[in-house]
Amino acid sequence: MNAPLIVSAVDLHRRYGEGDAAVDALDGVTVGFPKGRFTAIMGPSGSGKSTLMHILAGLDRPTGGSVVVDDVELGGLDDKKLTQLRRDKFGFIFQFFNLLPVLTAEENITLPLKIAGKKPEKAWLDELIEAVGLSDRRSHRPSQLSGGQQQRVAVARALLTKPAVVFADEPTGNLDSKAGDEVLQMLRRAADEYGQTVIMVTHDPHAASIADHIVVLVDGQVVRETPAGEADEVVELMKAVA
Amino acid sequence: MLAVSLKGMAGRKLRTVLTALAVVLGVALIAGTYILTDTIDRQFDQIFAQVRQGVDVSVTPKKLFNSDNNANPPAFPASYVSQVQQVPGVQKAAGGIFDNGVILDNKGKKIGGSNGAPNFISSDAPAPFNPFHYVAGHGPTAPNQISIDKYTADKQHWHVGSTVRVGGRGPAEPYTVVGIAKFGKLNGLAGAAIAVMTLDQAQKVTNKVGKLDGIDIKAAPGIKPEALVGRVQQALPNTVTVRTGAEQAAKDASDTKSGLGFIKTLLLVFAGVALFVGAFMIFNSFSITIAQRTRELSMLRTVGASRRQVLGSVLGEAVVMGFSASVIGLGLGIVLAKGLKALFKAVGADLPGGSAVVESRTIIVSLIVGTLVTVIASLSPALRATRIQPIEGVREGAVIPRTRFSKIKTPFGAVTLGLGVALMCLGLLTNSTGSAVWLPLLFGTVLVFIGAAMFSSKLVRPIASLVGRPMESLRGVSGQLARENATRNTARTASTAAALMVGLALVSGVTIFAAGIKKSVNSAIDNSVKAGLVVENKDGWSSIPQSAGKSVAQVPGVGNSSEIRLSQAKVAGVSGTPDVSGVNPVTLPSVYQLDWKKGSNATLSRLDGNNAIVSESWSKSKHRKVGQQISITTQSGNHATYTIIGTYKNNVHFLGDIAVTNTTLARDFKVTDDQFVMYGLKPGANPDQVKAQASKVLAAQYPNAEADTKSGFKKTQTEWINQISAFFYVLLSLAVIVSLFGIVNTLVLAIYERTRELGLLRAVGMSKRQVKRIVRYESVITALIGAILGTVLGVFFAVIVSRPLAGEGFQLSFPVGTLVILLILAGLAGVLAAITPARRASKLNVLEALAYE
Repeated sequence: MNAPLIVSAVDLHRRYGEGDAAVDALDGVTVGFPKGRFTAIMGPSGSGKSTLMHILAGLDRPTGGSVVVDDVELGGLDDKKLTQLRRDKFGFIFQFFNLLPVLTAEENITLPLKIAGKKPEKAWLDELIEAVGLSDRRSHRPSQLSGGQQQRVAVARALLTKPAVVFADEPTGNLDSKAGDEVLQMLRRAADEYGQTVIMVTHDPHAASIADHIVVLVDGQVVRETPAGEADEVVELMKAVA
Repeated sequence: MLAVSLKGMAGRKLRTVLTALAVVLGVALIAGTYILTDTIDRQFDQIFAQVRQGVDVSVTPKKLFNSDNNANPPAFPASYVSQVQQVPGVQKAAGGIFDNGVILDNKGKKIGGSNGAPNFISSDAPAPFNPFHYVAGHGPTAPNQISIDKYTADKQHWHVGSTVRVGGRGPAEPYTVVGIAKFGKLNGLAGAAIAVMTLDQAQKVTNKVGKLDGIDIKAAPGIKPEALVGRVQQALPNTVTVRTGAEQAAKDASDTKSGLGFIKTLLLVFAGVALFVGAFMIFNSFSITIAQRTRELSMLRTVGASRRQVLGSVLGEAVVMGFSASVIGLGLGIVLAKGLKALFKAVGADLPGGSAVVESRTIIVSLIVGTLVTVIASLSPALRATRIQPIEGVREGAVIPRTRFSKIKTPFGAVTLGLGVALMCLGLLTNSTGSAVWLPLLFGTVLVFIGAAMFSSKLVRPIASLVGRPMESLRGVSGQLARENATRNTARTASTAAALMVGLALVSGVTIFAAGIKKSVNSAIDNSVKAGLVVENKDGWSSIPQSAGKSVAQVPGVGNSSEIRLSQAKVAGVSGTPDVSGVNPVTLPSVYQLDWKKGSNATLSRLDGNNAIVSESWSKSKHRKVGQQISITTQSGNHATYTIIGTYKNNVHFLGDIAVTNTTLARDFKVTDDQFVMYGLKPGANPDQVKAQASKVLAAQYPNAEADTKSGFKKTQTEWINQISAFFYVLLSLAVIVSLFGIVNTLVLAIYERTRELGLLRAVGMSKRQVKRIVRYESVITALIGAILGTVLGVFFAVIVSRPLAGEGFQLSFPVGTLVILLILAGLAGVLAAITPARRASKLNVLEALAYE
């Protein structure tokens, strides 16, 4: 556990609304994510786990505290810089709607590079597509792919730029267990084989158990940081905090 | 159910406003047209009632037939006054002159410019006929005195004692202003300038010595004007018309108004175009909304709403929207009426103003047409909405079942297109005139547009690929996404583009047609006019006094000259009133080469008082061949019979359809003024120098006449085309603006549909700028699809409509440069339309866009 931190958050606050109706989604979160590791952020719904991920990924801004990613303090960046940061340093996998329906699988994978006006490295692209098992689906459109295949396209897209961090927001939430497992294994391999930092938000103990490290959030606060064990242990853990 | 729709409308404000705007603009043009013309009509009613005040019975020359140019019928002998005075019951009778003239402003130019408000010369009338009320000074009592209407005097800063130059059929001469007159309460006559002279002087300067344009009669006490009319008529020959003063005022007003009738029709046609384009937009907007409301409508069906209720709810929304938009359009029409007046003034037609007249007809027509167009355009989407099934549609991503019609849409579109073309041909090939021509043309054009719009969804992909590829290679993924988005729903893109297609088709059609006319005029002048100098009226259509042409003949360097004069005639057994030109058969060949079909310049030398030459097209369409005789009635009431001895190609109507000698024209038509005078130049003379000299001579005495070199003449003969085209462009731009709103509307709706995609793009690192670019390029692609289809249709329209004119020397010409500029402008318009939607797309909140349900 001595790997340097690639993402660290200090005393994060996120308040929605004002006055009596105000809700603190994050209430003083301090947490660090080691480089090259696979971390799962867990918590029941309403615990603030998605808000935490959005803020770490520069999609939302905290009302207090700071986030440093790869030595860059996010608070000092304007929208343009944040967008560039997302494009160059982050990969994203969402639960739904990961792909643009008008682009083919391959075009969707290379989208972030195209946005940056760069050409993908051919060998790396082929390797990735091979790794996610889509070699024969490269020119298919999302509507011609199954849910699992679509999500694998998203994984390949997230990995293509070799980002500092891959953020995965409930990546298996919309899949059956077999397809979900395939996606989780790919993320696992990304961390193991390419040393890719992965931060995954999930409420599924089984999914979380594949990570190296688990951060448990309840009511906007970190209640537990622990190395991941077996799925059963994670379930116990969740019961304990609930 | 309606309440649900109305709440929905309130929730989709931008869409509702944009859709309604199409109707608002169309209705505003309808209302504006009616308000403008009604206001003008009322002005004329007031003016003529004022002028004829105190007149019980009025005698005027009889107009034998209505001709295109509103030439006054010739004057009658002054001796009629004494005959009228003999009629029992006539207390007083006085003759008068009222004719066109030229009043010069302080700079020596005709007041109002050559195309502006008319200038009149009027004789002074004794009480009680005198319509003038002097606010300063008195009426003219000596030949060198005039009084001026107050409107003109105020504008020119003239007062009693000023010297003003006035010309009639002769050179302009100086007069002293002795009075400033009002017409009852009115300062002037709708902007016209009027110089009042003594009767003798007015007769002299208008070349009507011993003649009169009218007689005003006062009935003796107890005699009704109506009773007197018959008696006066009996005392006079039937070449005059006798009416009561009130009838005459109404007749004068209606004559003037009928001249404006065509303006009304023209403007209403443009309003129709704007509404037609608006209908595309309404159709589109409702279609997209229905698609987006599929789940909501399905839910309503699930909880028990019947199909009829769904239909009623959508149509109810259309009625509410159409009616509210029409009400707003009506209000805007009052403002627009003023704008239209300014537009007419800009092209040289200064119409009288006054407070806006809103007739109940204006209100009823505006409201009904606006509402009806909206409801009809929304009918197909509304029927489609009824096909939404309960439950099924509630699923995420449910689509409305395809109608049976959508499967046959393309062939149906092709058939409609073909039918439209057939109808247009029918209209163009018919031998008759009037509604037999324009009705099939109009419906044919509408069908062509609808057919093309239905068919065009098949063309969206190829055109989008054509115009999208360069963007893609230039702008990468933004360009690619724009192109993909534009072709995602081809039917929607097609009907959005169709609105612009209509506008562009008409604009490019007008452009090509105008270029054709210019080319034809230029080549007709090049081929026929041998003269180096031409003198004509600055307004391009009025005649000029003979003495004006003669004065130029004295200019050094000027050689031969030949006059061309113009009148109209009614030909027995033949429809229409062809133009009849008068030529000098001896001098004509030296300055103008007739394009003979049957005959030669030798035929010209045989031209005398008993024969005529006619244009080939007239000869053919009226079945009057060489050797046959034509019996004509002239405006002056004379009858004559001419033998046709030759035919010529009447290229761009330079001459009339019938040509006789000037001597014949003077004898039978009583026309002695010149339409053009053409001059040869002496060897070695510099045309520009001669022109400068001639202009100096004319400016001094005949400021409404101008001299031009041959190349300058070409320019003045084509100038009006530019003016008319500009006028068309301004009015068609309204239709183009409506179609741009359509693009804005479709884009806004598409962005709403693609919220999540845009959110994803932003999340994975697309900048706001790139997002804007996607929207902008999609807009440009849509606009260009419309523009390209429109230009193709425009070319087609110009070609097909000009076919029948080929016989009259019409030559097609394709102004490629202008058409390319139009395409570029359409692309830029696409950029303009994308401004708001692009901003919306870029401001999208990424987190909200990605939020799960």
